[in-house]
Parts: sequence; C-alpha cells; structure tokens
Amino acid sequence: MNRRFCTTNAGWLISVVIALAIVAGIFALARLDVTGSKGSGLSEQFVYDVKDLTKIDPNLILYEEIRRGGPISTGFTNARGLAVGPQESIYVAGDKAIRSFSESGQMLAEIDLTDTPRCLTAANDGKIYIGMKDHVEVYVCPDPRESGGRNGQRKRLASWQSLGDNAVLTSIAVSKNDVFVADAGNRIILHYDTTGKLINRIGRKDPQRNIPGFVIPSPYFDLAVGRDGLLRVANPGLHRVEAYTFDGDLEFWWGKFSSALEGFCGCCNPVNFALLEDGSFVTCEKGLVRVKIYNPEGAFVGVVAGPEQLVEGGASHICMLPGQCQAGGFDVAVDSGGRVLVLDTMKSTVRVFTRKEIGR
Amino acid sequence: MGENKRLQAGVTRRRFLRDSLWGTCLAGLGVLTGLVVGKHRKTNTLWQIDPYTCIACGNCATYCVLDESAVKCMHAFSVCGYCRICFGFFGPEPVDITEGAENQVCPTGAIKRRFVEDPYYEYTIDEKLCNGCGKCVKGCNTFGNGSLFLQVRHDRCLNCNECSIAAACPSGAWKRVPAERPYLLKPALSEVEGMAAHPPQAEHGTGNHA
Repeated sequence: MNRRFCTTNAGWLISVVIALAIVAGIFALARLDVTGSKGSGLSEQFVYDVKDLTKIDPNLILYEEIRRGGPISTGFTNARGLAVGPQESIYVAGDKAIRSFSESGQMLAEIDLTDTPRCLTAANDGKIYIGMKDHVEVYVCPDPRESGGRNGQRKRLASWQSLGDNAVLTSIAVSKNDVFVADAGNRIILHYDTTGKLINRIGRKDPQRNIPGFVIPSPYFDLAVGRDGLLRVANPGLHRVEAYTFDGDLEFWWGKFSSALEGFCGCCNPVNFALLEDGSFVTCEKGLVRVKIYNPEGAFVGVVAGPEQLVEGGASHICMLPGQCQAGGFDVAVDSGGRVLVLDTMKSTVRVFTRKEIGR
Repeated sequence: MGENKRLQAGVTRRRFLRDSLWGTCLAGLGVLTGLVVGKHRKTNTLWQIDPYTCIACGNCATYCVLDESAVKCMHAFSVCGYCRICFGFFGPEPVDITEGAENQVCPTGAIKRRFVEDPYYEYTIDEKLCNGCGKCVKGCNTFGNGSLFLQVRHDRCLNCNECSIAAACPSGAWKRVPAERPYLLKPALSEVEGMAAHPPQAEHGTGNHA
C-alpha cells in the first residue's frame, strides 16, 4: 500500500516537474526578443531612428496605385531593370532573361540570355538594347504571336565589344541614331551609334570644362535623353541630375542633398529616374525609398509614393546581404499615358501609379 | 537454504561495491574526457558575429561581461563608397555637412573622417571610443553599401563558454568560428558587383580594417 502511495506520488511529482518545465520554456520563449525591439538598455542617443523621415504629408502625394489585379509579378528572383516599349509593353530585365508584359500584367514574351542583364531600353524601331555587366547586346522585340512568345537566342542582332572587367553597365538610352550607356564601374557615359561604334565618352572629370566627374558609390547610375535633345544623367554621389550635350559639354544641373522631401537623402541618390512627356522628372531614391516628381527645371512638385506605400511596414529598407545593399534601389519608368511604373527589386514586382484626379 | 541466502547476500554486497567502484571510475573518465574535449574546443573556436545576420540592436554594447564591450565596429574599405555624405558618419538629419558633434551619428565620436580627394573621404574607427552599439552600422546598412559592421575583437574577448551577448542576441548572429579564421569579414564590392573601391586614385587601405 505504502509502495503504491510512493509510486503514485513520484508519478505526480514527475508530471508537475515536466509541466513546470514546459511552462518555464513557454515563458522563456515568449520573453525572447527575436527582433531586438525590446531594446538594449542603451539611452535614446544610441538609437538609430528614421521613422519620422518616412512620414509624408498626404497632400503632397499626387499619385495613387492602380490596384486592379495588384502589382505585376515578373516571376524573376532578382529583377533589375524596367523599360516601357513603343507599344506600351512593359519590359523587365532579371535573372537571365528579359520578359515583356501587357499593360494588364499578362506576360507577352521572353528572351532567354546567357548571363544576367543589368539594364535595358526599348527603341522605337523595335530593337531592345540590353546592358549586360560589361557589354551591350541588341535584340529584336519578340513577337508574342511567334513560338508562344519564347524567341530565345535567334533574335539577337548584335553583341558589342566588352568594356573590360571593371565595367558595370547600369543604364541605356536611345535617341534616333545615338545610344548612351552608363558604366558605373568606370564612372563614365559611353556614346555609341546604333551599330555599336563608340563616338565619345562623356563626363570624365575635367575642371577646365567645369565637369565634376561622376561620383558613384554603389552601382546606380542612370541616364535618359530629354525631348530638348540633352542627355540627363544622375550623379548620385553629388545628389544631382546633370544635363550634357551629346558632345559631352555640361550645360546645367539641379538637385541638392537634404533629408527633407525636397532634396535627395542618403549618401547617393537619386538611384534612378525617368522623364515624363512634359520634361518633368520622376526620381527614385534608395534607403528612404521615395519616388518623387520634379519639374523640368528641377523644382520639387510632389510625391508618387513614399516609404509607407513602397516598403512593407513603412520602414526604410535596411540591407543585410551584400546583394541587398547593392541591389536595393528600385527602378522607375513612365508610359505615354503618364503612368509611373515602379520596379520593386525586393519583391520583383512592377507597381503602377496614376495621377490622382484633381479635387481628390 | 539459509547458507544460500547468506551467500546471495554476500555476493550482492561485493557486487554492489565492485559495481559502484566501476561506476565511479567510468563517471570520472567521462568527466575527464568532457573536460579535455571542452578545453580543446574552447581553444580552437571563438565567438564571432555574422555580419549578415546581425541587426545592430545594441545588445553587444550592454550585455558583455567586460566594462568595455569586446564588440567593436569594423570597416570594410573595399565595400565603402568613400562618400562625402556618409550616413554611417552623419546622423539622418545633419544640421550641416561638417565634423561637428551635433552632425555625427556616433554618440561617442568613434568614427574619424579624413579627406582623401574631392569628393572622397575615408572613415576609420577609433576602437577606444567605440562601444559596439551599432548605430553607425544601421545608418550605413540603410543608406550606404553596408561597409560598417560589428565584430568581436579577440584581443579583448574572454571567449566565455556561455557568452552573455550570444544569449541575448535576438537574431542569432553569434556563432562559434574556428580560431584560425576568427573574423567574419564582408567581401569586396568587386566580388559582389564587379565595382572597384573608391576613390580611384587615392591611397587607401584595402580589405577590412577596424
């Protein structure tokens, strides 16, 4: 009887100990600070906080996202560049391919590549200029009716000469017979004709010509040709957009560093930009991910979308892996209807914004 | 029958003593082996922070058993953009782009800035002033290339078996690394994107440096 009593008691004791251990485990897990949000005990001056900078006056947000069907999913693991073609097709470069999408987000065609494309542009004559790491390749815009849209290598028209191991091509623009290529690795613009013949180099530091040189701390170096016939180039390390003639003369520039909405924040912005029909600029910044509008003279007009719209939780984008640090900047393009397309390089999706109706 | 019981009792007692002795010897051998293995492991592995898992929460500054944390900021020059407006050096809203204390992100003034050539600046860490809070790391990771990161400095670290910072690390960034490779350094920018470190013509160190 006694033995049974002892056995029963021992069973209870073991059950209680196990139950207490489980409770203690759950308590410890619940108390575990997996995000570091509970703080380290350091005073406020040791805390890095940019939350206030992510807030934007809603009255300054001039655009709204077109939510029909949500963002366009590119299907890429690592989307890198965005362009709008002559027939409003949306071209996205990523992984080892170029994909084109309709306005509604339906995939129309795909060009398989042997390496990772960094940037692209679609010319009016139906050619696509693709910037690989160190050279340009030219393709014919794929016809979606042919071969189910998958045209592969056979539509490649040309592969231009390599620019060397240091070259990192980040942007291409085409204007009639001229092709401009931004090389972030060598911090120079290369001016070609459409056959791939190098005409001149633009933007090398030259105090005699008042050219400051390009300051490119990370591989973001964008350019576009304006309707006024001048080449616009982002100089992110100097926080400005510069205007050059095709001969390489610096005409004027605009832009300033500021954490305020009117300026470009961080070490090096804008990372990308696009030109609207009226010559206005749509700029894209990294760090505090902001897409903003400036008029042709460079005066701040308003915001397309801020960190609260573009980044989950409204926080600034913090990179951890080298790839995230180097590829966290969003790309931007505009179509003929004035819609602003933003390539989210973190989610590899294209988000489409349209101007709000007046009075809203 | 009675004789048998006595014999059984005697054998049981002897067996008990013999088994106890064996048990004690085995336990002692186990403890000895454990100590040798533990000591061997301790001398051949060290604590280190994985820079890609670290979230720069600030715990490294406060949880170290040392008065001055063994964790310090390191700078990978080959990743750095040598920016004039470095957000690892300047606060998010600097009053002016000068070295004034009110403009700097580091509360202890541990980051030093040196002009190299227009518009490039070199940034180095004064380890005597760095407390490993990681505030600059967050600034650099948010806006820059992420060239600033935290590492355990082994000239200070006691290599405690149960590291109190590792226990408090919310992201599990603390790990044991082989003593012959005691630091987890960031790769050069050229290895990531093929870009050369800046400035192009200036004299500067290469690789990671504190």
